Amino acid sequence: MGVKEYLTQVKEGQIDLEDFVAKTVEKSKKIQEKYSPFITINESINVKTLKKGKLFGLPISVKDNICTKGLKTTAGSKILHKYVPPFDSFVTRRVKEEGGVIIGKTTMDEFGHGTFNTNTPFEIPKNPWDTERSCGGSSGGSGCLTSACDFPHIALSESTGGSISCPASFTNTVGITPTYGGVSRWGLISYANSLDKIGTIGKTVEDASLLLSIISGHDKMDSTSLDVKEDDYTKYLVNDVKGMKIGIPKEYFGEGIDEGIKKIIWDNIKTLENLGATYEECSLSHTDVAVQTYYIIAMSETSTNLAKLCGLRYGLEKPIKDGEGFNEYFSKIRKEGFGQEAKRRIIMGTYARMAGYRDQFYLKAMKVRTLIIEDFKKAFKKYDVIVSPSMPILPPKFKEIEKLTPLQVYMLDILTNPPNLAGVPMISVPGGFSHGLPVGMHIIADHLQEKKMIQVAHTFEQNTDYHKKKLVMK
Amino acid sequence: MKIGLEIHVQLNTESKMFCSCSTDYRDTEPNSKTCPICLGFPGSKPRVNKKALDHGISIAHALNCKILPEMFFSRKSYLYPDLAKNFQITQFEVPLGVKGKLIINSNGKEKTINITRIHLEEDPAKLIHIGGDITTAKYVHIDYNRSGMPLCEIVTEPDFKGSKEVRVFLTKLSAILEYLGVYDSSLEGSMRVDVNISIEGGERVEIKNMSGFVKIEKALNFEVIRQKSILRNGGEVQRETKTFDEKQGITKTLRTKEMEEDYGYIFEPDLTKIEINDKWENEIKRNLPELPDHMVERFQEKYGLSDYQSKVIVYTGKAFSMFFEECCKLFNKPVMVAKWMITHLLKCLNYQSINIKQSKLSVKNFVKFLKIMDEGKITERLGKEIIKEITLTEEDPEEYLSKKGLKMMNKQELEKIVKKVLDENKKAVEDYNSGQEKSIEYLIGQVLRKIKAVGNPKEIREIIKALVAQ
Amino acid sequence: MIISEDVIRKVAKIARLELKDEEVIEFTKQIDDVLEAFKSLEKVDTKDVKPSFQPIEIKNVWREDKVKDYEWDPLSNSDNKENNYFKGPRSV
Repeated sequence: MGVKEYLTQVKEGQIDLEDFVAKTVEKSKKIQEKYSPFITINESINVKTLKKGKLFGLPISVKDNICTKGLKTTAGSKILHKYVPPFDSFVTRRVKEEGGVIIGKTTMDEFGHGTFNTNTPFEIPKNPWDTERSCGGSSGGSGCLTSACDFPHIALSESTGGSISCPASFTNTVGITPTYGGVSRWGLISYANSLDKIGTIGKTVEDASLLLSIISGHDKMDSTSLDVKEDDYTKYLVNDVKGMKIGIPKEYFGEGIDEGIKKIIWDNIKTLENLGATYEECSLSHTDVAVQTYYIIAMSETSTNLAKLCGLRYGLEKPIKDGEGFNEYFSKIRKEGFGQEAKRRIIMGTYARMAGYRDQFYLKAMKVRTLIIEDFKKAFKKYDVIVSPSMPILPPKFKEIEKLTPLQVYMLDILTNPPNLAGVPMISVPGGFSHGLPVGMHIIADHLQEKKMIQVAHTFEQNTDYHKKKLVMK
Repeated sequence: MKIGLEIHVQLNTESKMFCSCSTDYRDTEPNSKTCPICLGFPGSKPRVNKKALDHGISIAHALNCKILPEMFFSRKSYLYPDLAKNFQITQFEVPLGVKGKLIINSNGKEKTINITRIHLEEDPAKLIHIGGDITTAKYVHIDYNRSGMPLCEIVTEPDFKGSKEVRVFLTKLSAILEYLGVYDSSLEGSMRVDVNISIEGGERVEIKNMSGFVKIEKALNFEVIRQKSILRNGGEVQRETKTFDEKQGITKTLRTKEMEEDYGYIFEPDLTKIEINDKWENEIKRNLPELPDHMVERFQEKYGLSDYQSKVIVYTGKAFSMFFEECCKLFNKPVMVAKWMITHLLKCLNYQSINIKQSKLSVKNFVKFLKIMDEGKITERLGKEIIKEITLTEEDPEEYLSKKGLKMMNKQELEKIVKKVLDENKKAVEDYNSGQEKSIEYLIGQVLRKIKAVGNPKEIREIIKALVAQ
Repeated sequence: MIISEDVIRKVAKIARLELKDEEVIEFTKQIDDVLEAFKSLEKVDTKDVKPSFQPIEIKNVWREDKVKDYEWDPLSNSDNKENNYFKGPRSV
């Protein structure tokens, strides 16, 4: 049953919620055994306390870097493996206010550092479309669960450099990354504060838009939260693209992109053209330095964010020995608590902002970012949306991932880093299949123009069948 | 010799710099004025306190700084047990104000101390070293009540040439900040100073985190001696960071140049830039309270005080000058008020290491005291004793006198005593009558002894003369 | 080589990350690789370009100076505590 239908039935009293929730928990456990999308399954749901709001009775999963009061939140890391937040994030408070049922915390690359959800001390989630392949990252769990579950559900997820679009693309689901500042980050365990955005993953554009509407809006607890009123994004689910202008950045169809993927996306652009849109090639000229810019800024910020994890006040800790100095104690905890990628990024981020290097790396990247943002602003003066593939590759096998160097992994962010740097909203929709594997299509809009991308995405979805393709459960 | 200061001033806002916790944390349960923000819990984000911004702008004005039109916050990253986030939110690249100055009086001459910059930042938590001092403790107790308190950091150029100048500067700065209403000097730890000192072009040594101007002067004096002695023995002064051990009176090494942190500054991405426009600046300027230099001039004009008197009263502090003006409202001899406040009251307070707010002395009682002194019935010596007493208790000076049996006599009572003395000293009276002037001094002395010096010698002389004449 | 093992060790020390010798060797190669790639930023002309602090311009956000007590037990997430203080390692 779809989300909309379910919500209606619950409202009309046609669903035995206790029974439904119990069954959902059972199903979640089964999915967990097969594909490992969860870090924590919530087994203490009290149906009687649910509020009769817009999400009444609806299962919502939450990426594990989003704080849930009283429910373990690890950010995918051993250093927080027992941490139970004493407060709710803004978004989970909103979900609860509207009667959503938080069924569990989904797995992720540690602190958001990763593209394949393989940087984790927990179980690596397996792609339901081929369990030898990655679900994408860092929100691998969100994509995995949304794709694999057969109960109504929407995922609360998060993107810094592409962590919603990548798993959405790899798991044939819809992922919305809203405008930076459109959703409050209060309660989000920061990866890179100027890049983090909370978004949604659902089976359809409607589902993802519905949850986004609930969590959007100004929050005084987040100083970078935009002063905009909440919007009901479901009203932009209009099946019409007539007259809409699409920009196709030539840099997004270059050499590093899989040929099969390129072909699929071009077919889709033609589909949109047939539906009344027009398209034109454009240029986002700083695309070739976007990955570098992204990583320098993200690593600089994350190395400061992760400094607080040192065995004091919360998280992994050990008894303090008499006479033990703080250097010793902190190093001991951080050595044990962080995975390799986190350590690498802390080192690179610390280096990039060190005296003597920060002009060349950190400050330079901050300036190049301005140019990348200007690229997009210029393009959006002409175009309503920009369309491209979401990812340059198909979901890779775990064996293949093991052979990649860190740099090779970073370079796969080529299509998602630029819009994430620019803080523009983007949606990844099921765009087709290549060799039996899902291909996501990226529709990007200008700041606060979610309505345009949702309209194009919805139209495309209504005129194609890719999102309906059934998983063959192995 | 080059000495420069980094002064950290706790601003007296109601709530902390980046969260809504109360700033009234002294003498409360440890960790009772905290929240996820000032404790650096994952997912928490800072929120700027507007009043702290207002105070910062006031300070920039008072110190003649150029206020920059856009203000940004930075993260200063280092790992330490007293930092809730292991970074401090401060202002690195773009501070609140730059290139200010403060003029002080050094050895009778005016000297300009240049202010490099002022900026806003947050205080770290308080550490208590258990089982030893900072270098030998077994472990620490951490109290985050202070974590997140709003601080204004004032950085001077290395313009000081000696420890005395430093003390003079800090005293004046402290007074200005109090007059601005942005800081309360009576709160423990509300002003902490890091001192940088180098002699004869050598390496710079930093002595961190000192409170109390006398202590700072001591520390500086020690450090100068230490550095000079190294140079005399042909050695080189090492660049290092030290702490001042008050008990032993020496500076001790905290860390050396090799152990110096790299703070890896980035802009604080959780906070926005703040634009300080003319309207805001002018509003603050308009509402600035009277500043000390202006008050000094006014006291000279209005009360006829000397340059010295007005400066001492004003720069001792806001409470002191307010006390002075309140007294003048009730007692119309301001110069006398000033004299007693400066020569005796201030000495008393300093001796007891308290300020006027902490003493129990009320304006009412001090004015009563002045009136007593004005009547000339008490010697200056006794007056000093009374002041000492009434600064410690809320006692009425008249009551104090009578308690001690030092009752002030009226004319009739005095005449009775004089008559008695004359009766008991008939020979002296005869001597006086036969022209020996000195004998009257003897008689006056005898009277004073009987009334325990609580009488006006002039008045007594008159009474004796009158009675003898009878 | 842009970066040496010594620098990696120094940076790891600043970040309080104790690295094993094999990790230092592995990280040096990987990080050097990445830093080489970062060099391509040098060719971008950023003269007169201002840095972006957030991707969309947000400014002048602050709050009024009002006290709001937070009801919670700050010590409940740690076992290193004594008499309402957090217990921490020596600060030198």
